[in-house]
Amino acid sequence: MPVNRADVVVIGAGVSGLSSAYFLARAGKDVVVVDKGIVGGEASGRNGGMVSERVDEPLLIPLAVEATELWTTLDEELGYPTEFTQEGRLQVAVTEAEMGDLLAERDVALRHGIDVEVVEPSAIRDMIPGITERTLGGLFFANGGHANTQLTVQAYAWALQDLGGRLYQNTTVTGLRVVDGRVASVETTAGDLAAEFVIGAAGPQTGLLADLAGVHVPVAPARVEILATAPVEPRFPIALVGNGLYGHQAVRGNLIFGGGAHEWTDVDLTTSPGKPNTPLIRNIARRLAELLPGAADVPVIRSWAGVVEQAPDYRPIIDILDCPSNYVVVTASAHGFGISPATGKVVSELVLHGESSIDIRGLGLDRFSGVGRGWRQERGWSPVPQRA
Amino acid sequence: MQVTLIDENPIAASMARLNVPQFFGQRFAGGLHDKSLMVERARAANEALAEAEAMGVDVQLGTCVWGAFRNSESSRVLDGPQLGLADNERSWLMKYDRLIVAAGARDLGLAFAGWDRRGAMAANGAYSLMRRYQALASQRMVVLGSGNLGLSTARMALDRGVDVAAVVDVSRSVRGDEAIVATLRESGVKLFTSHTVREAVGGNGEIESVVLVEIDDNCQPVAGSDKVIAADTVCLAVGLVPNVELLSLLGCDLSFEPELGGYVPDRDDWMRTSVESVFVAGDVAGFHDGMVLDTETARNQGRLAGIAAAKSLGAIDEAEAIARRSDLQAAAIDSKPTDTYANWIRWLQALLNAGGSEVFACPCEEVTCADLIDLRPPRFLDWETERTSPPSLKALAKDAPVNPDQVKRLTRAGMGHCQGRLCREQVALLLAEASETDVADMPVMSYRPPVRPLPLRVMWPHDESEQVRNEWAKWFSPTQQVLG
Ligand SMILES: Cc1cc2nc3c(=O)[nH]c(=O)nc-3n(C[C@H](O)[C@H](O)[C@H](O)COP(=O)(O)OP(=O)(O)OC[C@H]3O[C@@H](n4cnc5c(N)ncnc54)[C@H](O)[C@@H]3O)c2cc1C
Repeated sequence: MPVNRADVVVIGAGVSGLSSAYFLARAGKDVVVVDKGIVGGEASGRNGGMVSERVDEPLLIPLAVEATELWTTLDEELGYPTEFTQEGRLQVAVTEAEMGDLLAERDVALRHGIDVEVVEPSAIRDMIPGITERTLGGLFFANGGHANTQLTVQAYAWALQDLGGRLYQNTTVTGLRVVDGRVASVETTAGDLAAEFVIGAAGPQTGLLADLAGVHVPVAPARVEILATAPVEPRFPIALVGNGLYGHQAVRGNLIFGGGAHEWTDVDLTTSPGKPNTPLIRNIARRLAELLPGAADVPVIRSWAGVVEQAPDYRPIIDILDCPSNYVVVTASAHGFGISPATGKVVSELVLHGESSIDIRGLGLDRFSGVGRGWRQERGWSPVPQRA
Repeated sequence: MQVTLIDENPIAASMARLNVPQFFGQRFAGGLHDKSLMVERARAANEALAEAEAMGVDVQLGTCVWGAFRNSESSRVLDGPQLGLADNERSWLMKYDRLIVAAGARDLGLAFAGWDRRGAMAANGAYSLMRRYQALASQRMVVLGSGNLGLSTARMALDRGVDVAAVVDVSRSVRGDEAIVATLRESGVKLFTSHTVREAVGGNGEIESVVLVEIDDNCQPVAGSDKVIAADTVCLAVGLVPNVELLSLLGCDLSFEPELGGYVPDRDDWMRTSVESVFVAGDVAGFHDGMVLDTETARNQGRLAGIAAAKSLGAIDEAEAIARRSDLQAAAIDSKPTDTYANWIRWLQALLNAGGSEVFACPCEEVTCADLIDLRPPRFLDWETERTSPPSLKALAKDAPVNPDQVKRLTRAGMGHCQGRLCREQVALLLAEASETDVADMPVMSYRPPVRPLPLRVMWPHDESEQVRNEWAKWFSPTQQVLG
C-alpha cells in the first residue's frame, strides 16, 4: 500500500462506508477505504434494493426522507448509473390484520408529512399487472423506489476514486491501535494506516471491529435469503411489499423478492461469512406466485443470501464516540441500502462539524449503555447449536 | 441398500428452448414435446438403466436436481443434507446418507458473430438430441473443433443422415483420432485446419451459411481467405466443462485444473470429495478430449464411487471394498489429459480476431465482449459518459485478481436465463486476458440454487409445513429465526 496516512480511513466498502467516504471526499478530505473483500461483496451488493421512508420506524423518518431526496439526483451526483427508480412503493394487504397495520402506518406517515395514499384493490391491479385478486387494499408511498445494488455501491466507489479517494479491496483490518483515547493507527494486511478519523462501517463485523478499540457495539449478524426470476412482461416500476415479501422488478425485468425467516449467525473479523441458501427459497417462490399469479410460469434463475447486521432495537447506529474520540460507528440494522445517501451525509457532517443537520436522535451508541456483552444469548439472538 | 438414481433426461422442451442444460440451439424436432416418447427413447439409449432397475434401483427420469442443501458453520437449520428435486410439474426435497454426483459435463460456449441465432449449438446438446431423443432437426452442419469431441459429433451426425459440410479447427493439424478422420474424409466431409469462424449468417434469426476464414500462426485472419459454406447448423465442439454446480453448493473443495476442463472437485482415490458424504464419478470429476473415445474411465470411476459409498455406510467391509477395487485397477481410473484450456484460449483468440469484439459474450443478456472488457453498464440504461478515463478492469484488478461476480453484477454477463452455462468460461478468460491475470488466480463465478431455471409454480412447496406458513416474517422479527 503506497500511503500510510490519510485524513480519514473508512473500514468497509459497503454502502455505509462508501457513501461516507464519498461525502467526505467531496468535502475535500483525503479518504482511504479498505475492505477485506470486493466493493459491495457483502450485504450492500446482495440486498433487495428497496428505498423507503421507513414509516415503520418513526425515529428513522428524518434520515430516510433525506435519503429519498438525495436518491433523486444520485446518478448525476456520482456520475454513474444506479438504476434508481422512484415510481413509488406499494404495500398491499391480503389479510384484515395487515389492512389494519397499513391504516396505522398511514396515520404515522400523514403525521410526518409523507406523501401516502390508500388504494383500492381495483387500482392495485392497474398498478401491478398480474397481481393477486386477493388484496384487500394497499398503501402507496409516492417517494419510495428501488435501485440496483451492485451498480449503486460501485457508483459510490468510482465517484470516490474520481475525487481522488483511494480504495483498497482485499485488504483486511486486523487491529486498531488506541493511544491516548484515539485510534492512532489501523492495522491492515497491507500495512498500518494513520488518520485523523477512523470510520468503522464493517456491517456484521462492526461489533468485532469496535472490540479492537475496546468499545462495545451490540450488533448481531443474521443470514437472510432472496431470489430472482428471469425477466418478465409486463413491467411494473413500483416497489412492492405484500404476502410476506418485499421486492421489485428490476429495470431489466427480473422479479427480485425476498422475505421469510432469518438465521442468527456468527461472523469473524477477517473472513467472509458463508452465505448459503436453504430450502426456504421454495417458500419464497410460493409466496411470490401467490402475490403475482400472472408470473407463476416465470422461472427462478437464482437465489442468494446475505449477512445483515442487527442492533437490539432494529435501528442504525451512527455516532462519533467520546472514546476513542476519533472513531465513528456506522451500522444500519438491515436497512442500510435505502438510507445510504443520507448515512454518508450524516457521517461526513459528524466528522467535519461534530454534529449533523439531519435529526439522528435515537441513533447514538449511548442508548445501549445498559446492554451487556451477553445480550445476544439473553435475547436468543445467537446461532442454534450445530447439529451432528 | 436403498439406491435412487436421478437423471433430468428427458428434459422438457421449455428447458431445451433456454439452452438448458446443454446448448441445443433450437434445432430440436417437435417430438421433444412428447414426454412419454422421450422417456422411451432415453431408456432405449441407455441399457444400463434397465439393468439398474432390475437390481432394485429406484430410477427417476425426467427429474432434475436443482439444489443441494447441507448445514455449515453459517447455516444450521436443516435436519440433514438434502437435495432439491423437480420434474416439470412440482418440486420436492430428498434426504440422503451418501451422494454420488455423476452430473457429467456441459458445453463450452465460445462467442462468434451469429451464435445467438437458431442453429448455433454445441456437441453435448447435439449428442443428446441425436442419441437420447432422436430429435435433431438439422440438415447441414459445420462442426467447430477437430478433437475427438468434434470428430465424433460429425460422425454421429453423418450416421443420422445429417450432411456434415465441414469440420473446422484453429490448430494446424487435426487434433483427434485418425481413424475417424479417415471415415469423415471418405464421406466427403471437408476438414479446415488453421481456420476459424468469422460469422454465421441468415434471415429471420436462422443460420443459413457460415463464413470461415483462414488464420495465421498468430491467430490473425488471413485477408481474402473467407469461404462461405451453406449450413443450417454450427456445432461448437471445442470442449466440455465439468458440471460442478451441485458440488459447489455442497461446499466441496474445487481446484482449477486447466487440462481437465476448469474447476474440478478435489477427490481421493476412492472418488470421495472433501465432503465426507459426497462422491463423484465421470466427467464431473474432470473431462478431457481423450475421454470421448474412452467411456470405460467414467464407468470405472462410477463403480469405484459405488464401492466406496457402500463401504462408508458399512454395507461392505474394507477387505471386500479393496478386493473389488483391485478388480478395477486393470482398467484405467485416470486417463491422460490433453492441453484443454490452451486449446480453448487459442480458439477464443482466433474468434475474437476474426469476428471482432462486438460479438455477444453473453447472449442471454446481450453483453458484448467489448462491453465486458470496458465494464460498460447494461446497454438498456443508455448511459453515456464524458469521462476520458472511465473505470477499467485493470483498475478493479489492482488489489487482487478480478472477481467475476463483481463484473457479472455490473455488466450482467452471466446473469441470464441460461444461468451462465454458456458464457462462464469465456467471460473468465476474457476478464483474465483484459486484466492481465492468470485465469487460475481468479475466483470462480458463484453457483446458486436453483441450478436449473425453475418456474415459480414448480418451485412451490406442496410440502410446506404449517409452521413455515404461519410464522412467516416479512423482515426481521425476534421470534422468527429458524424454521423448517
Ligand atoms: C437479502 C438482503 C436484502 C436486503 N434488502 C434491503 C433492502 O431492500 N433495502 C435496504 O435498505 N436494505 C436491505 N438490506 C440490508 C442492507 O443490505 C444492509 O443494511 C446494508 O448493505 C449494510 O451496508 P454496510 O455498508 O453497513 O455493510 P456491508 O454491506 O455488510 O459492508 C461491510 C463491509 O465491511 C467489510 N469488512 C468487515 N470486516 C472487515 C475487516 N476486518 N477489514 C476490512 N473490511 C471489513 C466487509 O467485507 C463488507 O464489505 C438487505 C440485506 C440483505 C442481505
